[in-house]
Amino acid sequence: MNGQPAIQVRDLHKRFGDLHAVKGISFTVPAGQIFSLLGPNGAGKSTTISILSCLLQPTSGDALVMGHSVQREPMAVKAAIGVVPQEIALYEDLSARENLDFWGKMVGLRGAALRQRVDEVLEIIGLADRQKGRVAKFSGGMKRRLNIGIALLHRPQVIIMDEPTVGIDPQTRRNILDSVKELNRQGMTVLYTTHYMEEAQELSDQIAIMDQGRIIAQGTHQDLVQIVGELDRVDLTLNALPDWVTDRWQQIPGVQKVIVGAPSHPQATDGERTVTLLVDDSNLVLPRLFESATQAGVRITSVTIQEPNLEAVFLHLTGRALRDE
Amino acid sequence: MRILDLTIKDLRQLVRDWKTALFLVIMPILFTLLFGFAFGGFGGGAQDPRLPVGFIDQDRSSSSASLLRLLDQSGTLRPVLLEGQEADPERAERKVQAGDLAAVVIVPASYGDRLLAGEMIPLRVLLDESEPAGLTARREIQTAALRLAGAAEIARLSAQAYEAQARFADGLARRQFLAEAVDRAIQAWQEPPLTMLKTESKAMEANPIMQSGFSHASPSMMVQFSIAGLIGAATILVSERKSRALRRLLTTAISRPQIILGHYLAMFLMIIIQFVILIAFGQLLGVPYLRQPLAVALVMAATAAWTAALGLLIGVLAKTEEQTIIYSLIPMFVLSGVGGAWVPLEFTSQTFQTIGHLLPTAWAMDGFENLVIRGLGIESVLQPVAIMSAYAVGLFALAAWRFRFE
Repeated sequence: MNGQPAIQVRDLHKRFGDLHAVKGISFTVPAGQIFSLLGPNGAGKSTTISILSCLLQPTSGDALVMGHSVQREPMAVKAAIGVVPQEIALYEDLSARENLDFWGKMVGLRGAALRQRVDEVLEIIGLADRQKGRVAKFSGGMKRRLNIGIALLHRPQVIIMDEPTVGIDPQTRRNILDSVKELNRQGMTVLYTTHYMEEAQELSDQIAIMDQGRIIAQGTHQDLVQIVGELDRVDLTLNALPDWVTDRWQQIPGVQKVIVGAPSHPQATDGERTVTLLVDDSNLVLPRLFESATQAGVRITSVTIQEPNLEAVFLHLTGRALRDE
Repeated sequence: MRILDLTIKDLRQLVRDWKTALFLVIMPILFTLLFGFAFGGFGGGAQDPRLPVGFIDQDRSSSSASLLRLLDQSGTLRPVLLEGQEADPERAERKVQAGDLAAVVIVPASYGDRLLAGEMIPLRVLLDESEPAGLTARREIQTAALRLAGAAEIARLSAQAYEAQARFADGLARRQFLAEAVDRAIQAWQEPPLTMLKTESKAMEANPIMQSGFSHASPSMMVQFSIAGLIGAATILVSERKSRALRRLLTTAISRPQIILGHYLAMFLMIIIQFVILIAFGQLLGVPYLRQPLAVALVMAATAAWTAALGLLIGVLAKTEEQTIIYSLIPMFVLSGVGGAWVPLEFTSQTFQTIGHLLPTAWAMDGFENLVIRGLGIESVLQPVAIMSAYAVGLFALAAWRFRFE
């Protein structure tokens, strides 16, 4: 790899008419790493991925993949990347093997080399014994595996995965995350987009948090958590919420931020309100919160305390929750 | 090479879909048979279309024989000589009532003698005046009877003129003279100063089946169902776009123009395969496609070229599989109906023919029918092929311009 970064993005902009989808982002992905773009829907992740996959031209700026410009050398970039789209982009009336054969030809494989690589990929994705089955009859998990397998056919140096776990069951999701780690162990650089902070946290060597077309924070998981320091996140569910209560909570020493109605708490029911607080020490702050609530005649129906995580970072930086988007 | 890979993939998908076989082959074959029979296939086209009229000859004279010939030459009536038990007027009348005969003409005994003597002898005619066929038959019978009466009058005057100068040897000689004079008068009537000759090509004479219903039904159903067959091909394109496989293709080494060409080529080949099967079937029915194989191949290729371009456009415009059905069936009905695939444009008004020739189907039908019905040569298809090629270029350009990858 000669120490060359796998991906370099430089002041990348993309406009769709009046919509400024990507607003001058820059980041570098060293070869052999898993790099996650984390952000809510509409943050600009997919647009960025589309530019890196040569599906869209940037309005300005550039991106280099294995040293090749997506604008000037798109064919070289395509040869270096394998793209796993969010959707199951397969031909359902063809068999698994026929799909791999076709996509293999599209990336330039022929003859014996194609047959051999298809056999290898079928083994990797665990579909060797189902290779003649029609994809339409596959389970969701099998389709996902085949969807990933197609991206591996030409042994790309970089795998780009666009939210590959959206809308799938936990078991399939687990399989995909394990596959990503395995591919990375084999030396592939992985650019992974997600709006699940747990995935970014588990997989990534580096994470860039995107919001509204910008990268608002970037670094390792530890780097990012440092942004919120040792803050605890406290999620409360209440039966009512007068304004003056949140004003009073804001005055309590140790409370850094109060966000009303942010992440919907799993236990919240109709008519209940949720409040999220970032606090220095939840043990010290919680009694004061209960005291104020009691004085206001408000009942706290549930409390959740979380250690600092990427969700808290996003909340801290944007005032909004990742999953609210 | 990637273009062909994409084409082969599309064709493989098409083959897997049972609807493809239904629309491409089974339905056109069934409709070819249906319309072929309706238009007189399997010799039905050679059947005499004239109205059958019973003829009971109680006179058996040269005059009644002349009347029979006049009826036969009318072009509208087909006299059927009723003899033996069939010559019973009551029985014949039942046939009229049953619709087996449009009318029955009964020539009474001594009809000829009295006619040549200058008497106006009424014929007995059995018919149903409430039926258009009966009215037509009456008019034609009247015409024939008046023509015979006129010929008899001329013969009688000729005999009188002859007798003014010489005498007949006997009564038989006089009757022979009168019979010959009637025949000559009738013959003179049939040879007017202006004669219209209808010529038919030798190819037509050599192959009477060209006149059969299949000669129109076979190419017309072929053209019509080539459009219907686009449903499957366009659906593949729509599904590919919806599943984002089309977008994924763009992340590989294949280019956008190659993708468009690959899909177009698949549709073109699909239609060519359909045409080959249907032409072979038409040939089995006696439609002489192989008389001019090169010319047929030209018309076939040009028709497939614009139809495939139309299919590409349908695949581009449709957003759902349901829309591909609507977008395929509407042009199929309009192009087939107005373009002469249902009813030959020769049978329509001049205005309709002009409108019809604004559509490529009319030129496809012209091309095929010039070869298999009119028996013309390759030069007769050059204009239709050129016009269809222009349609193909226009439709392809439109489809390529509007092509969406997501």
